[in-house]
Amino acid sequence: MSDTSRRKLLAAGGASVAAGTVGLAGLAGGSAQAAEARRSPTSAKESVVAYVRDHRSHEVRLMVREREVVVHDRDLATRILNAAGGR
Amino acid sequence: MSSHREAPEMAKDPVADSTDVYAFVSPDRPSTVTLIANYIPFQAPDGGPNFYEFGHDVAYDIHISNRGKAEADITYRFRFHTEIRDPKTFLYNTGPITSIHDKAWNRPQFYSVTRIKNGRSKVIAHHLACPPVNVGKRSTPDYAALAKQAVHKVGRRRVFAGQRADAFHVDLGSVFDLGALRPVQNLHLIPMAADAGRNSLQAFNVHSIVLQVPISEVSRKGDVPSDPAKASSVIGVWASASRRKSRMFDKSEGRYVGHGPWEQVSRLGNPLFNEVITPMSRKDEWNASHPKGDADFAKYVDHPELARLLPVLYPGVFPHLAAYHKKRADLNAVLLTGIPSGVVPGFQNFTGAVESDMLRLNLAIPPTGSPNSLGLLGGDAAGFPNGRRIDDDVVAIELRAVAGLTIPLVDPSFTPDGAAGVLTDGTTDTNGGTTKTFPYLGNPGGGFQTEPGTTAVA
Repeated sequence: MSDTSRRKLLAAGGASVAAGTVGLAGLAGGSAQAAEARRSPTSAKESVVAYVRDHRSHEVRLMVREREVVVHDRDLATRILNAAGGR
Repeated sequence: MSSHREAPEMAKDPVADSTDVYAFVSPDRPSTVTLIANYIPFQAPDGGPNFYEFGHDVAYDIHISNRGKAEADITYRFRFHTEIRDPKTFLYNTGPITSIHDKAWNRPQFYSVTRIKNGRSKVIAHHLACPPVNVGKRSTPDYAALAKQAVHKVGRRRVFAGQRADAFHVDLGSVFDLGALRPVQNLHLIPMAADAGRNSLQAFNVHSIVLQVPISEVSRKGDVPSDPAKASSVIGVWASASRRKSRMFDKSEGRYVGHGPWEQVSRLGNPLFNEVITPMSRKDEWNASHPKGDADFAKYVDHPELARLLPVLYPGVFPHLAAYHKKRADLNAVLLTGIPSGVVPGFQNFTGAVESDMLRLNLAIPPTGSPNSLGLLGGDAAGFPNGRRIDDDVVAIELRAVAGLTIPLVDPSFTPDGAAGVLTDGTTDTNGGTTKTFPYLGNPGGGFQTEPGTTAVA
């Protein structure tokens, strides 16, 4: 089940929150933008799975505990796709 | 099978495979209703050293709809966890298991029960012990005693979760060999001499969740209904199994780790629905969907493939059925809406217009002293399709219904073919049988005691 309130929060927080959650700084090749990410007080404290079902969309689904957080974030989706492509 | 390995994806995931659901007013405690959900099909009793058990990574649910909307108004969720008492041994048990808390049982399983109503969850029991499987005469020398210890009282409820003998019976080897029914296979398109049916579930066990609750806990008005004609006397029942949305293989632990919400992977209401009604291309989709959306599958009920096949497989035996091309309103009522008042005198189990696959139980109809295994077809309104009792011969009932025996209920102009009233696969329950008291399903066959079957190539 999607967590809409969480989604709004993360969508607003955008890449910062998610990057801290999934450790994109390293995956993204150490770009300056990723390196500036800071974890928020509410960031996940456990393992998280990120799922980009459609590379043409900006939707990232995050599986954490028994919740699914849906994030619509072009920057985050692009950075994950780039990282998955080796860049 | 009722729903054993009935869909391509589920055939690969037996721990989450719903195989049978039963719902009946308890014959020995008629102020209660008994709900049974079976999982994990085809358990060879000698299947060690890692014997069968519930999945710690599966959520097992029994759902009740009591407001006529085909939604889960009440859900009982069962979650299991497994412990290893001695990490140094490969053995399931290190000596005879004489109680369910015996230290010699190295891999005990426990479970919690959560009741979900109106979106609110309440854990009503936790750390309830399962019995071990029936390993054999040395390891589980008094299995009946172990099973009895695993019957737990939770307030006014009773619950049991563990291995049982599979009471469902069907001749799979024949039915899925081009629709043959051995007792009448002399009339088949590829004829052979008529023969007795073989129970393909013979000598196999399942894992059962058996829950007995006061009727007032599940009825719409919180009462014990006494008027069969009232809509509030009927409940819908189905079971499901769910897994976490994401599973990652954790190499360091050598197992999968789940993330995200629970997603339904298996469900079951009426026996054989997904098995022989839903086309193979949509069985997995059906398992992941919910009853209230079953209008999308209604066309397979209204014009069932099996009804078209019978006249082809048995040439000349079903001429009336072959000529009948109307919508099967009888099957639609039995399987998707319940039978409304006025169709069967004195009976109804209609749950509203929402087409949905659920067992429908009229709680105001008391148990029968001498049950007829043909249920409503046999004049016994306490049996299938009014709920489902363990001994109801649902294969024969559904075969006859699909063959046209129930069409006159809604279309008096139709005369069923003579064969429709006698169809059967010729099987009976040749396993542990049933008991007169909770948990009603018989003790599972033991690994040591059960003889392997025979096989043949030609």
